[in-house]
Amino acid sequence: MDKIIVFLLMVMVMTGCSKSFLDRPPLSQISADNFYQSTGDLRLATAALYAGSPWADWNYNCFLPVGDVLSGNMAVGYWGDAVQLNTFTVTGLNGIMIANWKSMYKIIAHCNVTINAIQQKAPDSIAAKNKNAAIAEARFIRGFAYYNLAVQWGAVPIIEDNSKLIISPLINRIKTEDVYKFAINDLTFAAGHLPAADVAGRVTTWSAQGMLAKVYLTAAGLNRQGSRNQQFLDSAAKYAGSVCKNSGLTLSANYADLFKTQFNDNPESLFALQWAPGGSWLEGNMLQIYSTNAEISANGSAGWFGIGPTVDMYKLYATRDSIRRKATFMINGDYYPELNAAGGGFKFTGSCALKKHVIGTSKDNNAPTMTQTTSTEHNALLRLADVYLLYAEAKLGNNGSTSDADALLYFNKVRTRAGMLPAPKIDADSLLIERRIELAGEGQYWTDLVRLSYYNPARAISKLKGETRVTFTISGGILTPASPYGVITPPTIQSFTFPIPSSEVTANPKLQEPPVSYY
Amino acid sequence: MIRLRILPLLGILLGFLSSINLSAQSIKITGSVINKSNSSPIPGATVTLKNTSRFAITDAAGKFTIDASTGNTLVITIIGYQKREVVVNKSSSIEVALTENISQLEDVVVIGYGKAKRKDVTGAISSVSGDEIRKTQPVTFDQALQGKVPGLVAQQISGQPGGAVSVQVRGLSSFGGSSPMYVIDGIIIGSTATLGAGVNPLAGINPSEIESIDVLKDASATAIYGSQATNGVIVITTKRGQVAPPSITYDMYTGYQQIPKRLPVMNLREYATFINDRNTGLGWGFDTRPEFANPKYLGNGTDWQKELFRNAPMSNHTLTISGGDPRTQYLLSGSYFNQEGIALGSNFRRMSLRLNLDNKTTNWLKIGTSLQLVNIKENVNSTSSNVINTALSQTPDIAVKNEDGSWGGAYNPNGWVNSTVNPYAIALINKDEAKRNQLFGNLYAEIAFTKDLTLRNEATGSFSMATEDRFNPSYTFGLVKNNLNSGSYNSSQNSFTTLRNFLTYAHLFKNKYNVNVLLGHEAQLSTNESSSAGRSNFPSNNVQVISSGDPTTATNAGSKGQSAQESYFGRINFGLDDKYLFTANVRADGSSKFAADNRWVTTYSGAFAWKLNNEEFLKQVAAINELKLRLGYGLTNNQGIRDYAYTSTLATVATGLTGIAQLTQNVGNPYVQWEKTKYANIGLDGTLFSWRINFSVDFYNRKTDGLVLQIPLPLYSGTSIGYSPGSLDAPYVNVGTVNNKGFDFRISSTNIKSKHFTWKTDLTVSRNINEVLKLNTDGASLDKQYSKTVVGRSIGEFYGYVIDGGVFATREDFKTHALPTKNGVPLPVGAAGGSIWYGDLKFKDFNGDGVIDEHDQTFLGSPIPKYQLGVNNTFSYKNFDLNIFFAANVGNKVYNQLRINGEYPGTSYGYLRTLMDYAKLTLIDPKGSATDIDNIKVTNPETRIVGIRNDNTNDNNRNSDKFVESGTFLRCKNISLGYTLPESLVSKASIKYLRVYFNVSNAFIITNYKGMDPEIGSWDPLTAGVDGGYYPQPRVFTIGANIKLTK
Repeated sequence: MDKIIVFLLMVMVMTGCSKSFLDRPPLSQISADNFYQSTGDLRLATAALYAGSPWADWNYNCFLPVGDVLSGNMAVGYWGDAVQLNTFTVTGLNGIMIANWKSMYKIIAHCNVTINAIQQKAPDSIAAKNKNAAIAEARFIRGFAYYNLAVQWGAVPIIEDNSKLIISPLINRIKTEDVYKFAINDLTFAAGHLPAADVAGRVTTWSAQGMLAKVYLTAAGLNRQGSRNQQFLDSAAKYAGSVCKNSGLTLSANYADLFKTQFNDNPESLFALQWAPGGSWLEGNMLQIYSTNAEISANGSAGWFGIGPTVDMYKLYATRDSIRRKATFMINGDYYPELNAAGGGFKFTGSCALKKHVIGTSKDNNAPTMTQTTSTEHNALLRLADVYLLYAEAKLGNNGSTSDADALLYFNKVRTRAGMLPAPKIDADSLLIERRIELAGEGQYWTDLVRLSYYNPARAISKLKGETRVTFTISGGILTPASPYGVITPPTIQSFTFPIPSSEVTANPKLQEPPVSYY
Repeated sequence: MIRLRILPLLGILLGFLSSINLSAQSIKITGSVINKSNSSPIPGATVTLKNTSRFAITDAAGKFTIDASTGNTLVITIIGYQKREVVVNKSSSIEVALTENISQLEDVVVIGYGKAKRKDVTGAISSVSGDEIRKTQPVTFDQALQGKVPGLVAQQISGQPGGAVSVQVRGLSSFGGSSPMYVIDGIIIGSTATLGAGVNPLAGINPSEIESIDVLKDASATAIYGSQATNGVIVITTKRGQVAPPSITYDMYTGYQQIPKRLPVMNLREYATFINDRNTGLGWGFDTRPEFANPKYLGNGTDWQKELFRNAPMSNHTLTISGGDPRTQYLLSGSYFNQEGIALGSNFRRMSLRLNLDNKTTNWLKIGTSLQLVNIKENVNSTSSNVINTALSQTPDIAVKNEDGSWGGAYNPNGWVNSTVNPYAIALINKDEAKRNQLFGNLYAEIAFTKDLTLRNEATGSFSMATEDRFNPSYTFGLVKNNLNSGSYNSSQNSFTTLRNFLTYAHLFKNKYNVNVLLGHEAQLSTNESSSAGRSNFPSNNVQVISSGDPTTATNAGSKGQSAQESYFGRINFGLDDKYLFTANVRADGSSKFAADNRWVTTYSGAFAWKLNNEEFLKQVAAINELKLRLGYGLTNNQGIRDYAYTSTLATVATGLTGIAQLTQNVGNPYVQWEKTKYANIGLDGTLFSWRINFSVDFYNRKTDGLVLQIPLPLYSGTSIGYSPGSLDAPYVNVGTVNNKGFDFRISSTNIKSKHFTWKTDLTVSRNINEVLKLNTDGASLDKQYSKTVVGRSIGEFYGYVIDGGVFATREDFKTHALPTKNGVPLPVGAAGGSIWYGDLKFKDFNGDGVIDEHDQTFLGSPIPKYQLGVNNTFSYKNFDLNIFFAANVGNKVYNQLRINGEYPGTSYGYLRTLMDYAKLTLIDPKGSATDIDNIKVTNPETRIVGIRNDNTNDNNRNSDKFVESGTFLRCKNISLGYTLPESLVSKASIKYLRVYFNVSNAFIITNYKGMDPEIGSWDPLTAGVDGGYYPQPRVFTIGANIKLTK
């Protein structure tokens, strides 16, 4: 009898577990199937696209090296990849170039995942306006990334749905003009669906219109000789003008304040990376690696890359232009009361160094968890002054010079804020120099030169050739150029296009084929 | 009476309960048990009254007394003798003669949810006895499998105490690693909680408790274990109590370990001479070091290897008490093992307790348990702080300690000096302590419904709790400073529980048809939880508890995970005439790792064995004792992928915008499926010449389809595999096909057997050919830093450039030899930076297009050994025994990463002595220009070490065959010499058995490899074989004793 009872008991056990025994959803993380259920969820998803690990590698490796070292604004030694930028010897193995490629596609992947998830998984209970606004944020950032890729490489692959790569990973490059068009489409959608105002730090329609102006202006010169596409110039003028006149935004009074953390996301900032303190390596803003001295760094140890202005850059600053110079570069004897304020401020005793993005100690920034690799500065990638100058450039268009009142108004707003005299007229050269000075240390000058190289390669090459691409020492007011970090190869039109990463060509030989049309 | 005292309480209670039913009319029987061959008495034999629980045990004179009736049957058993049954007749005195077991005929092997006689096995199963394992004195049992089991490749992942071992059975069948399944006394060892660098999850098992290890290799053997068993099953059976008088054994050894080899690095004079050469003359022309002005007046400087490595003690003590009567058998064992590492900052301590208990509660019920408690404490700082690599890259001009007692460090503020930390100090002051508590338990009840039909229920669990305590103090090593101390504390818990029930029916029909049927169900649940906390800015380096750190710097993290599996399984063994054996297995597994539609899968296999020796035509052949042909085929499934691969997940990240945000972590693939392996095996087992030669050979072919691959996509996918902040984790896709074919062979021979002298030899040979047949796309590859995996080659082959002769040495070289390119244009030639110059390496232009670019890379060899061999020789002469064991790897390559910095003049790390052969540039006209291409030549053009130049435009350290070396080695794994004291001598001290021995492990190694140790294991087959400052396996000298007491 005992045996039979035990047997029956066992038979019951052996008939199996309940069906839900094998349902084991993730316990540590939210599954994509359970997220995107409210407007709040969508806002949490888009918030992650503004900074953090998708952007950190680019901000560390590319932001200044590509924008300012490659263009000749600055030079940095003991960093082989950056020296290749300085000497125009970028190979398919260059780490900075690879980081740029990889980062932009990481950002694109996150934007794609977000856009597709909202489209497929967000329930109808979320208002279409809110869905579109969230998608518009992601498309703004994706548009920015494709624009960056088009500037650095020209023809590149376009990916809208990363899961499709599981089945067909080897895709062709898309023609440069279509990459620009893709960016324009993204930004146009963003301009149409982003609000006119949002919490500080989020992009608005003005951010999108400003970027649109920049992309149109750049694409205007593509495949042209001498003159630029007037239709694109008009579009650029339209969108930039709209930002200038309709946004209600104005320039901040003090140039130097733009780069202080207490003015993070000031009204002039149209798109800035939203860094948080305290993360791991390659999760935060690592720009303090350029900090020269331990006492003006987050954790009391100095950075590891001594970057400084080139002779060429330094000589551009007129005597009057000390406001922007001092906010951008430290020169021997400069005093900054806001750096190491508790220690009585900071007097720079070296020759020359970067000032922008060097923000001082954790105490200076009231950010106890800030570390050397997680600066709390929200460095801007698009700001109002940039759009003002874009507007002037679009208005100048294919003319040799212009005295257009609108163009002059906004051009001179930028100049006078910096303590400069207003200019009576604008020509291509004065505009380029103004942009170079205003936006030095903000990764812009290289894209300006690429833009020039599209329709006037000879001039763009001669700009590079004419540069003294070395840093310098100053002693008793006497400037002595430093020895070069390497032999500078004469730039050619190829110098304006990065090679495709070698590993990428190996992984996908189709990248060597001529690019194809997307539309 | 001692027996009763030792019997555990449970046994006593159960014993009383079931011994009430005694029959009447019994008479007192007295008898003796003797050895049939020499008529000597046998003490300790168990005499049981059949079908009752009544028993007696023979005394020292072999005598026993028991109550029985006429016609009853007595069963006499003792280990080492054949069982005998005697019917009680009217006489009240019985003499029983027992025959010794000589042949291995009755060897039993584990076949999964049961056991079988070796002669009746149809699958490919290799076994190693516990005695054989203990001879090599491994810290963990997996270390001992190398060379012992044909078809199994074991490679040490780290030589640190208790370090991990990678084990593969018949090749790599998965990109995620191909570890076999481990089952210890029915307890499936799932993922156990381990924290800390290089830690071995299997280190909790004390090798001295192991009775036998059975390695199930082919599909017909493993299919019954289903989806976790594709890569083989290693079944470990621990010792259990026997029906025998109590025995107490004490095993101990103690000894010390030393580093077998040190790398030849430059001493201070050599270093200073080199730095002077580098920085003056044709060298850099800067960074002169006044302190090195006269090298000949300098000493040897610091030998960092000498400082870091030490002779380290180790010792082990195991005490075992076992015994039992026919009703209850017990084994209680406790052990203590302690080992210091040969590198500072490493040690290992294990304490374990085991209780194995079996009780025949009633005639139809048997219950029992296997229970093990383990406590492990390890210092893994030497691995996590990478001190071996650091010691090899620190320069000899740095002192270990300064005269004032402070730690030495880089002192020259002007020089081109790397801020390498003081490895000796780091090994001592950093803390990385890993602790584990583990519990392995199996509780079973076996119900016999009839003589043939039994039901076994098992509840098993493996539970582990691990913590890791780390502290990095602030320090000053000269100019190298760490101003911020930091600490972290992690803890994790894993549990892996299984509930299984299976019915077994076994019957011999008509003495001809032997049938054995198994039917069962199993449910498994695995959970894990972890949390970690970190702080920095501690007020003092002496206060290291986590709560003392600055609260504003606090960070914490945690995770939870779970997975479940449910299975139904069945097996039929059918034997005909003791000649033909058939086995069929089927198992259905459901796993939570897949989306609901893809959860269930069926595994099946069939096998046939033909006992040729039982055929008439072979019965006549006296030379053949046994000969068995085995054929097997099956389809097995594998679920070796990460949890939740079927869906995307989002994690919380910090942002300056909203505080926190949700960031997608991976690209999920809802279609991901099981990996399927088709597995064929043919084998032949034989015993020849009166059991003197015993061999087994197997040929196999296993093809795995739908290999789950974390698909490596180009960078433009935004996905990546492994550490890459901000990338999406690449999706897991069933795309690959890999084939493993090969053979394994074992032969054991008794070469000489005379009265006083015997000599036995065992040889194992394992040969596996691994080939990838398909990847996600044509031309796709899995690229790692040093390796590339493509179709048509084995997994993880090294890939890179080949050095063409040597360096650019003559004017002619620049005219004729291909140059590296930038954007398709060859780089310029010249002495200035940004160009190629004399002393740069010439890479081979494989495609002959006149330039060196990524198309000129090629495969440089595989880290997988072509053959793994083991040879064991055992000699015994009178009371002496000698065992010599060699293991060898043949045909694999090792990437010697240490030579990248150590042989490159451009670094300022410590240098290998081989760097002195750097390319030496001379001026043809000494008064001429040093930048004139026509005025320079290299005096040692064949060298593969680049010249002195502050430029690396040529990318001289790119992956190349320069760093790829042969990993072939022959290692004398073990020599042990033992002496068993004569029983007549020790019995006076109430000792039954006493053996003392001397043992040398890793006695010597024969290899061409230039690094410390060519044996480089890896969990990840794609990054295998890279020596980046590996913890070498120590040479160990020990003395020990085995003592056995009886009564």
